[in-house]
Amino acid sequence: MPPPVNDAAIVFSHASVAYGRFPAVEQVHGAVRHGEIVALVGPNGAGKSSLIKAVLGLVPVVSGSIVVLGRPPAQARRQVAYVPQADTLDPDFPISVAQVVLMGRYRRIGWLRPPGRADRAAAEAALATVGLEHRARDRFGLLSGGQRQRVLLARAIASEPAALVLDEPFNGVDAVSQEALLDAVRDLSAGGAAVIVSTHDLPLAQSTCNRVFLLNRRQFAFGRPEEVLTPALLRQAYGGAALAVGDHGLILTR
Amino acid sequence: MITGFLISPFGAPYMARALVEALLLGALCGAVGVYVLVRRLAFLTDAITHTVFPGVVIGFVVSGKSGIVPGALVCAVLAVGLFTLVAATERIHDDATLAVLLTAFFAVGVVLVSRQRSYTADLTAFLFGHVLTTRRDDILVTAAVAVLAVLVLLAFGRPLLAGAFDREWTRASGYRITLLDLVGNMLIALVVVAAVQAVGTVLVIAMLVVPAATARLLFDRLAVIVAVATGLGMLGAWLGLATSYAASIDHGVRLAAGATIVLVLVAGYALVLLGHGVRRGVRRVLGTRTAVVR
Repeated sequence: MPPPVNDAAIVFSHASVAYGRFPAVEQVHGAVRHGEIVALVGPNGAGKSSLIKAVLGLVPVVSGSIVVLGRPPAQARRQVAYVPQADTLDPDFPISVAQVVLMGRYRRIGWLRPPGRADRAAAEAALATVGLEHRARDRFGLLSGGQRQRVLLARAIASEPAALVLDEPFNGVDAVSQEALLDAVRDLSAGGAAVIVSTHDLPLAQSTCNRVFLLNRRQFAFGRPEEVLTPALLRQAYGGAALAVGDHGLILTR
Repeated sequence: MITGFLISPFGAPYMARALVEALLLGALCGAVGVYVLVRRLAFLTDAITHTVFPGVVIGFVVSGKSGIVPGALVCAVLAVGLFTLVAATERIHDDATLAVLLTAFFAVGVVLVSRQRSYTADLTAFLFGHVLTTRRDDILVTAAVAVLAVLVLLAFGRPLLAGAFDREWTRASGYRITLLDLVGNMLIALVVVAAVQAVGTVLVIAMLVVPAATARLLFDRLAVIVAVATGLGMLGAWLGLATSYAASIDHGVRLAAGATIVLVLVAGYALVLLGHGVRRGVRRVLGTRTAVVR
């Protein structure tokens, strides 16, 4: 059965992703439409990050296929924005918040031209979207973890992407920053961008996302949150570590 | 008195040439050193300085002093190309690759130099340079590398910055990171080659790293750090030459010029570091907030 392809931005067809000879995640099958927010859910080591890197064309698809905006992942990079985890970056790096956000414009600016007024305006607007316009001149590393994550999202927004990929953006993020991140992501998807976000936060996936991939080295389910985030499926994927609480919320004992 | 110390040594043509060369190198190393600093390439730079060594020796054996720069250039390009490509496969950890290359190239150099008659004298010259015997051609080489460095930093500055700050994102944005690495590494290699005649393969690492590190201690903004590192590199070069001249001529204490430049740069770094420590200590004692507000 082929996945649905109508207005689909990112299509996974029985895709398997591997580092060299080591498979990271196998048989991923589903699609992300424009304007949708889709979660990648699963325990640590489930292959969420690898799948994200495959969408960005950084890790090879060894069987099946991933098609991004109608092209192989590596050829769609300029229209896909990536938001890495903020804590992977050096907090001592001498770079201002405004400079980080402006990076989102680099591909549009080109090699020799200095950034134009339109680029600066786009960067400022993107920073305002995440509510940090007053921190533009501060050094990136001086911001809190959540604020740094918002800056990285602003950099992605500044590039005006057709698809957005976020790797665990809510890890260790305070409530204020989480709200700001969610608002900005919802804005972007309302504008037609396809969004993929990996997360450990099941209630968040349930409340925010249109669809969910449940993964642990392979795909356990793909569909609407209420179909996928069920105690039975979660127990399968998490190996019995999932526990249902009430009708919606779930707690994972680990 | 101060003008006498700073100006009068450079009346003699050989000292004037040394000053021009040292100032050019100071500026060049200061600016490129900031890339070395933020991209954390101090060890790679060190490795390049060692891998250049056999090229220097072979060049010297083949065609005397004028063979040094071409020899160093060939070796540096070879080593950097090899390293960048091996590192791009990501099978081997960068520092292991470097250690293998560094020691292999350096050993070749030592074997070659040990076959020379004037073993120790040659070795010293190659390792520590001879800024006082700078010729017009040496200055032209350094000036050419400086112009090239400015062009490279203008053309590739933004992607090099992005790659240094967030490598994965830069790849994901469609930049060819191996190409960027190659450009950055080649630039460092060229600076090392330009510096070989004046300060030798060992001391150039200090000229690259110390001004940039000092500027980083003082400032947070990249553009300011580049400007200050360039200025510090030139200042250290001038003060170092003047000090070495004053000590040797006026006080009869022979100080090697290249090494004195490095010592002046390091002294500056130490002073700034001390100032930092004192300031932090005072803040702690006074109990004021240390959060930086800009």
